[in-house]
Amino acid sequence: MSGESPVHEPVVFDARTLPVNDNVNPYAFSVDLDGRWFLQKGKMIAYYGQIDFHGIGHGPLDHLIAASFHSPLHAADWVVAEGKGRLLLADRAFDVNSFDLDDGNLTVRSGNLLAFEPSLSLKQSIVPGFLTLIGTGKFIAASNGEVHFMEPPVRVDPQALVGWADCPSPCHHYDHAYLQGVLGGIRAMTGLGGASGEEHQFDFVGQGTVLIQSTEMLLAERNAGAVPDQAGVPGPG
Amino acid sequence: MARFRLEGSKVLAVTLAGGGDVVKAKNGAMVAYDGEMTFKKLTGGGDGLRGMVTRRLTGEQMEVMQVKGQGTCFFADRASDISLVRLNGEKLHVEASNLLCTEGGLRTGTTFTGLRGASQGNGLFTTTVEGTGLAAVLSDGPAVLLRVSSGMPLQVDPGAYVAHQGDLRQSFQSGVNFRTVLGEGSGESFQVRFEGEGVVYVQPSERNTLGGDL
Amino acid sequence: MPFRELSAKLVEARVAPGERLFSQRGAMVGYRGEVRFTPSIQGGQGGWMSMIGRRVANEATPLMTVEGQGTVLFGHGGHHVEVVELDGQTLCVEADRLLAFDGSLQQGTLFLGRDGGVRGMVRGQISGQGLFTTTLSGHGSAAVMAHGGIIQLPIAPGRPVHVDPQAYVAHFGDVRNKLTTALGWRELVGRGSGEAFQLELSGEGMVFVQASEEKL
Repeated sequence: MSGESPVHEPVVFDARTLPVNDNVNPYAFSVDLDGRWFLQKGKMIAYYGQIDFHGIGHGPLDHLIAASFHSPLHAADWVVAEGKGRLLLADRAFDVNSFDLDDGNLTVRSGNLLAFEPSLSLKQSIVPGFLTLIGTGKFIAASNGEVHFMEPPVRVDPQALVGWADCPSPCHHYDHAYLQGVLGGIRAMTGLGGASGEEHQFDFVGQGTVLIQSTEMLLAERNAGAVPDQAGVPGPG
Repeated sequence: MARFRLEGSKVLAVTLAGGGDVVKAKNGAMVAYDGEMTFKKLTGGGDGLRGMVTRRLTGEQMEVMQVKGQGTCFFADRASDISLVRLNGEKLHVEASNLLCTEGGLRTGTTFTGLRGASQGNGLFTTTVEGTGLAAVLSDGPAVLLRVSSGMPLQVDPGAYVAHQGDLRQSFQSGVNFRTVLGEGSGESFQVRFEGEGVVYVQPSERNTLGGDL
Repeated sequence: MPFRELSAKLVEARVAPGERLFSQRGAMVGYRGEVRFTPSIQGGQGGWMSMIGRRVANEATPLMTVEGQGTVLFGHGGHHVEVVELDGQTLCVEADRLLAFDGSLQQGTLFLGRDGGVRGMVRGQISGQGLFTTTLSGHGSAAVMAHGGIIQLPIAPGRPVHVDPQAYVAHFGDVRNKLTTALGWRELVGRGSGEAFQLELSGEGMVFVQASEEKL
């Protein structure tokens, strides 16, 4: 029972040894900055080097909205990190992953997107609350638990959906089968037995990849920006 | 001599041999034990009268218990990750709420840390641990250890700061060319700049940040 | 066995015709195939006595029945999930920590702190401890949730384990339990608080403890 306690020599990083555009651990990501990145506010935990942070759309950076954001959306939620150094990003100890797009597109829940390279452009999805990244480059997203990838056909709890790539937008699926039949009738009339909480899913079909987090607990929603109020445009929901 | 062992990354197992074998731990952080254990509330937290007075003045409520006995006691705190730090005479600075457990031979006290605490809204003081032995430090997610050396200063979000060791100077950086577009928030953010020679522990979370919005 | 751990926080279950699963309502995160989710009044078997037991114990955690053919992903609240295989043993687990379990397992209710019975129930209500647990027995598997992951501590004769009731997750084996308090503990946490007591588990078996003092 006695003897030295086993203490592993901890890994100490510095500006040279921090990973280059890779995870430090499942919850922290190290960006090798040489130029610009877009960050959601509040996600920088530490940095080495000469890095300036600017609000987007402010003064000289006005043109960035046109170049990378393509819409008058949520600019106040984003900052530009500009300079040279190593930048550590994290989000409330949630799992953090980087994704590489090669002339592709991926739609992600607005609250899950942490940062992206300016070579990607960010657009509002037709689906309210989601953002679509288009082009070639790297972005970083957080999820509550590891991200799990599934191929359609699959039905997903709305709160567990992180995003999807390449496949068509999902449709709503309602499951009220248990309301049929005699017992179901009694349930429907009396409310006895309650609801399963699984009456509604997002239904994905076609070719692509669906990203699911391991819990139905949402990350804090971010404003995905207003859409023009006009006929034929789905509302913000 | 207490023996520290991590069970996974979030539970600390401390085996005590009985007699004068003792550790100090964060109040209420015991989740299980076998053998015989006794628990005692330590008033004041820091050592001696000065520590007590300092705590009274600073209002830093570091609730500490003394654990004594023979067997193994398991400590955990809200699913936080745990780092073991071995001290050989150096001093460890740590946020009071991030200190889970210290070996009996270590002394704890309080020091003034300046404005960083102010931006975090939890007082101007942090806890220091000194002596020879092991300390267990909590973080929200596994801590990342970052070295500071001459010519390689480090900037840290106050909410992500957990602890530091070495000969480091802290300074308070504000308004790093950062302004919000739509006039939301204070329009300024705060960072702590560390210079000198040492190691800073940061957590992959900025949960406590009140002052910073970056 | 129908459960597979996909990550620390996500399990996959297979359902086939003629089999069914129970799961906590709202804990399904995705599925493939033809699967039905039906709210369950009783949470399966156990009959009226176990229902009353749960009512008294305030342990009426809503369950749903999962039937059909396909695969279902379960996860809840960002909690860690551990799959426990039962091969004839009885698992005692707090109902709100059960993410999902085989429909073939028998359910019951047990009071922790005194070995069950009416007196135990009364004591439980007086002290407001609510230390009732669900029991699962038979052959099958159960997915159990914990805040921050689980450590398993063996219980051996002459070597009881004391657990903070807030951090207690589940146990199995030939284990007796009672509420005790360690020297100095009540002064530490305050006499009025529900944390003043610890759960002493003795006999032979295993207890699961989570890395947190937060109830789910």
